[in-house]
Parts: sequence; C-alpha cells; structure tokens
Amino acid sequence: MTPTIGLLINPIAGMGGTVGLKGTDGLSDVALARGATPRSAIRTKETLSLVRHDTLSFLTASGAMGEDALRECGITEITVLYTCSKPTTADDTRRVAAAFKEAGADLIVFAGGDGTARDILSVVGRTIPILGIPAGVKMYSAVFATDPIAAAALIRDAGTLPLRDAEVLDVDEEAYRTGRLSTRLYGIATTPYRAGYVQHAKETVFQTGSEEEDRQEIANFMAGVLASPRPFILGPGSTTGAIADAMDLECTLLGFDAYAGGTLTIRDGDATSLLAFLRENPDTRLIISPIGSQGFIIGRGTQVITPEILGIIGEKNIIVVATPGKLRATPDLHIDSGDRNLDASFPDSIRVICGFGLAEWRKLHRSS
Amino acid sequence: MQTKIYLDEESLPKTWYNIQADLPSPLDPPLHPGTGKPAGPEDLAPIFPMELIGQEMSQQRNIQIPDEVREILRIWRPSPLIRAHRLEKFLKTPAKIYYKWEGVSPAGSHKPNTAVPQAYYNMKEGIERIATETGAGQWGSALAFATSLFDLECIVYMVSSSYYHKPYRKSMMQVWGAECIPSPSPRTASGRAVLEKDPNTSGSLGIAISEAVEDAATHANTHYSLGSVLNHVCLHQTIMGLEAREQLAMEELYPDVVIGSVGGGSNFAGISFPFAGDILTGKKKDTEIIGVEPAACPTLTRGLFEYDYGDVAGLTPMLKMYTLGHDFIPPALHAGGLRYHGDSPIVSRLVHDGIITPRSYLQNEVFEAAITFARTEGIIIAPEAAHAVKGAIDVALECRKTGDPKTILFCNSGHGHFDMTAYDAYHAGEIIDYDCPDDLIKESLANLPKQRG
Repeated sequence: MTPTIGLLINPIAGMGGTVGLKGTDGLSDVALARGATPRSAIRTKETLSLVRHDTLSFLTASGAMGEDALRECGITEITVLYTCSKPTTADDTRRVAAAFKEAGADLIVFAGGDGTARDILSVVGRTIPILGIPAGVKMYSAVFATDPIAAAALIRDAGTLPLRDAEVLDVDEEAYRTGRLSTRLYGIATTPYRAGYVQHAKETVFQTGSEEEDRQEIANFMAGVLASPRPFILGPGSTTGAIADAMDLECTLLGFDAYAGGTLTIRDGDATSLLAFLRENPDTRLIISPIGSQGFIIGRGTQVITPEILGIIGEKNIIVVATPGKLRATPDLHIDSGDRNLDASFPDSIRVICGFGLAEWRKLHRSS
Repeated sequence: MQTKIYLDEESLPKTWYNIQADLPSPLDPPLHPGTGKPAGPEDLAPIFPMELIGQEMSQQRNIQIPDEVREILRIWRPSPLIRAHRLEKFLKTPAKIYYKWEGVSPAGSHKPNTAVPQAYYNMKEGIERIATETGAGQWGSALAFATSLFDLECIVYMVSSSYYHKPYRKSMMQVWGAECIPSPSPRTASGRAVLEKDPNTSGSLGIAISEAVEDAATHANTHYSLGSVLNHVCLHQTIMGLEAREQLAMEELYPDVVIGSVGGGSNFAGISFPFAGDILTGKKKDTEIIGVEPAACPTLTRGLFEYDYGDVAGLTPMLKMYTLGHDFIPPALHAGGLRYHGDSPIVSRLVHDGIITPRSYLQNEVFEAAITFARTEGIIIAPEAAHAVKGAIDVALECRKTGDPKTILFCNSGHGHFDMTAYDAYHAGEIIDYDCPDDLIKESLANLPKQRG
C-alpha cells in the first residue's frame, strides 16, 4: 500500500534566527521587518526533490503551509485538507495535524522547529510518527532528521522503518532571548529511524532488537537491580517509564519520581520536594536517560535536578539508561547542570545501560 | 640490530608440549551432558578421532608431531619472531617488544597449526567429512585449507554477523573447497530453535558449535572439529611458544612478560604454555603471563570458574572453565573470534591457580592500539590480535614509568586484511565500547530471591 505522508510547513519557522531573534514565536512581523526570509519552504523543497513522488501520496494544507512547495516540486498527487489563515498561526498547525490524523496519515513530515513539533504532538500524540525537516531556530527535540537530505531518505522508506521514541522539548523563548536556556519536556512522540549507518555490513554488526525489545531488556535488567530496598529517583522518558512498568510502579513519563521502600513517594517532584527526599534518603540513586536531540543527561530538559541535588546524589549514584537506537541518534552525551565545577567532576566518558546486563561507554561532554 | 629472528626448517619442533603433565593435580574431567558423570573416550568417539581423544586426556609431556604434519607445517613454519623496534621507539619504552608473527600462514592466522593435524588424524581414521563452526572466519578458512590437503569434505557454520561482515573469509573457504553457511541456520534443530526465538539474531560461537556438533552426529562418516578451547587444540598451538622460546634464546633472552589475546584460549595457550610450564616445573618463577580479552565478553576477568556446556544447546560435554553462562550471547564485536562465553579448561585452571593474569579492554582502545601498530610496524592486524598488542603496549608503557627494560613477548595471531570494514567503522567513530556492568549484574542477582519471594 502506498504510504500517506501528511506534509506541513510552518512558513515563518526559522525566520527569527537569521535576524538575531532566537525564536520566531509571536515575532514574525518583527522578523520580516528586519529582513528575514522564509526558509522552511526552501528546506522542504530540498527534501521533496529527493523523494520519488510516485511511491507516496501526500496530504497537506493550502498555500505556504505545504501545497505551494509540493506543486513547485512537480508533485500533483496531493490532497489539500485545510485552508489556512493568513498569516498562519500555531492554531493552523494544530488544525492541520488534526486533519492528518482524521485522514489516517502514516507519517507527518513537518518543516519547522520545536514550537511546531510541540503543536503537532499536542494533537496527534503517539498515534502517528512525526519527522521534522530542520528549519526552526530551536531544534532541541529528538524528532528532527539531521538535515533535509536525511529527511528525504527516511521519507522514501516510510512505513518500513522501525520507530523510536523521540522527546519533544521546547525552550522558554522569553528566557532564551535574555540568554538563559531553559527547556521543558512536553511529551514523547515516535519517529522513524534507520538502524544502521551507510554500509549494509555495519547494519549487521550493530544489529539489535527493535526499540521496544531493547527498552524491555533494559527495563527487565534494571528492575532486578532496583529491587533492593535502596531508594531511587526515575527521570523522565519512555525508557525509565518502562523500568517503572517492569517493577509495577506508577510513574510520570515527563517528570521525576522518587521511590522509597518500593513505593512511589514523590510524584513529578520539583527541586524542593526532591531535595527534601534526598535529605531523608541520602543513598538515593538517580536513573536517567538522555533527553532530546543533543543527548543531555542533565541540563536542558532536566532542570529539576539542580546542582545541589546532583551534588548530594553524586556521580557514582547515577545510572544512565538508553536504547541502542537512541544512542545512535545522540552518540555523544552532554551534562550542563548549571555548575561548571560540578560538571567538571564527571568523567569524560560514562557507562550507559543499553540492554540486559549490557552497557556501552559514551563520551560525556561537560559544560565549559 | 636484529629485527627478524628465524629458525631453520630443521629446527621445527618435533613434539608438542602437553602442559597437563606438569599441572600440580589433574584437570577436573569433562562431564557427560546427559548423565553429568565424567565423560570417557567412548563418549567423544562419535565426533572425534581416537588419536585426538587420546591427546585430549594425555598426561604425557611431549607428544610426537607426525612427519606428514611437519611436512605441511614447513610451508610457513617456523614463523618469524620479530622485534618491534619502531613500536618501542614510538612508545619511548626501555622494554624490548617481540612478537610471534602468525599472519604468514596460508590462512593468515595461527589456526592452521591445529587445523592441519586435526584434518590429518581424521583422514587417517577414514573420515570423509568434517563439520565445524567459525566466529570471525579464521578457523573456518584454516580448516578449509587443511581439509583440502587431505581431500576431506568440509562444512563450516559461520556466525552470521561475521558471515555478512567478512564475505571474503567465506570466499577463501570456497576456494579451498569447503561449504560455508551462516549460523544459526535452518539446517539443524539447534539453529532452527534459535531462529524461532529470535529471527534477527546475529548468532554466536556457542550457537554455531551446537550446529556443527549436531551436523557431525547426524551425518555418516562425519566428524566434528573445534578450533579452540579443547586441550588437544591448545596442545597443537604450543608449537608457537616452543619456537618463540628457541628464537629468544638465540638472542640470549627469556621473556619477562608473555601476552596473548583470549577468546577460546588456543592462541594464548600456544604462545604461553611452554613458559607457564617453566613456572610449573620450577625452572622460572617471575614470568608474568597475561591473557587479554574484550570487556564486552569478559570470561576470565569476570566469569565464574565452574562446569558449563561448551555450546548454547548443551550438546557438548560440560567443562570446568571460566564461563559467562552458555546462554550468554555477547554483543556483536568486531573481534568476532573472541566472542565466546567460556574458555579453555587449561587456561581457566591456570588463571584460577594464579599462573595467568587476565585483563580486559574496550573496543576503541584496542583499535587505537592496532592503528599505532600499523603506523609503526606496518602490519594491519586482525582485531583479535590487536587485543594482545594493546596488552603489550600497556606493559611497555608501564616499563617507561618504572624504567624496567623488560622483555615482552606477544602472539600476533593474524593479519586484518578482511577486517577493513571494522577499521572503517573505527575511523568513522562508529565502534561501540560495549561493557558488562558486572557491579549491577551482581546486584541484580543478589536481589533475585527477593523478587521471587
């Protein structure tokens, strides 16, 4: 069956970046006034020019939100599901995503940044995989292909590639414009990925199970490790979520949960409640997974873990978990706790549990 | 300064050295997989020739190498002992580094040292077909070469990750007339069982052994042949250490440190047993013998010393050895030849007794050592051999710190001409440093009863 791709372009995405605005949310007029040129359509056309049109069918929105780019690439087999307003807004993005969901799209491809990803996720959740053509100012989410060419390769094989979980992050743009980077994990989408690299032989060498099987292996292993009375905190993400499931424990997928005596003690804790927990349970372990497209284990999406909390837990009591698929997408890991001295106390490589009784060592970049 | 030290062909050893004669007490016997009682020669007879079974259990110190075998070994033996001058200079070490270079054999590794006598004894017993397994393909190509010399049929079950990763090893086997198929395969019940459980498995040496043993047991006039682990295989490989001891003596040297990479243990046994024997018989006492293994398959450094099956399906006798468990399938390493859950019972015993010290390394640091070796000594070596190089480099660097001019001997077991994809992956930054989180594994095991309760 021909895969159906829902194509959505956020026409104003990325404009702010070219004129020094660190984001375009609410500022597209300012960006245009400063001479910004729309680039999301250009990047989309770069991708579309590399996709064989006769093997795919496209759903899209009118004009600048998709239709124009498709037609300019000579693609005529398209269904326009939505007529967008001018200028386009986040509400248009959400309505288009809803139309794609209603029409049964197999994959939603969007050109935009974290804000666009977040709007789409809010409508479709994990029901349809999402793939981003990188075109925004901020792209901390893990749903983006590395470039328009890589996006084309993933679209070409739509429907046959395995899916992996991908965090959708967004930054507080007000804070970002004043030089403070503060990200928040909004949810977990699914995205297609290619298991190997470029050579067939390497795919064989690095062969692992599906994302789900790998996650289950990690969860089963960690369930055994954490079965002792020792307290622990589970960070956000689907891999840590699978650990809670394997242990029959409740958890919040997007936040930090603390467990003592085998039960959930703090749900979706903030810095204050977690600090209080640690004072009562000094030998607590932290189980975390890298979040977002850049592989941050601490920092960006994990602001709840303040330097003070991290200092109490200690580097030796942190267990990092991630599926091999996730590690391929973010080969190097990063830490940015907000305290450079604390970051510097971490080693330059870190062990990541990636299967049942199996670990990988990965480079850890400290803030500098 | 002498770089290559050659023995003439007449100095090719006439006997192999059997270290079992010098162990303070006999090895724990292999146990029958069905009864759990000690396995006798009759239990092994369906798959091995009697001469090899005799060698497996022999307590005789020196065992004659048949003239027909010596004639074939002369094609490449005695192999050169080479002083790594340029590597020493690069490392700024006072140590003298020598390596026994086994890449000169027709198959490009140490494996023909045992493939030839094994094929010979099977031929003498009237066997027409031999089944075996291979990890990285070095053993399979060596046995294909050896069986072609004696007009025997040969079937090789090759671990599937290597089969697709190293197609030219398969091609070599075909040139020598052997049939090579990826394991697990649908041809055997053992292979089918694994495929049913996980159709995408990358295979393992343990699975491939099960298939080859089953093949031998279910085909007429077919024997099984193993390229490592067993006592008779280690025995045949001692020709390397015996030659090296003579070659170093020509330089009036005796090694302070002997190093080899360890998968099933045969190349390590081959280079080290004559020197370990010198310790056991009291001739020497300070020789350090180091076995180097991958951190992702850390049998000697982190396994348990106990009875276990040699294969996944539990068809082989149980051997007392260091093991990670016969159902342990290591991650797909580039050093495919070192992906084995167990180890030679004799090597295991010598580790247990403190004669041998094991070390383990991650993949990237091993490749880094291989690159250093290629850029100083010129030879591009197999990832398996690179483990020994890494061990030798580390010891040489320790010597730089202490100023101790030790003599280091290591076995450079084979070339890496069919491993270039692995080198490409290294340069692309795609080699994964797999490790066993043994602290967490122990914690998990300790928690098990509580989980069950």
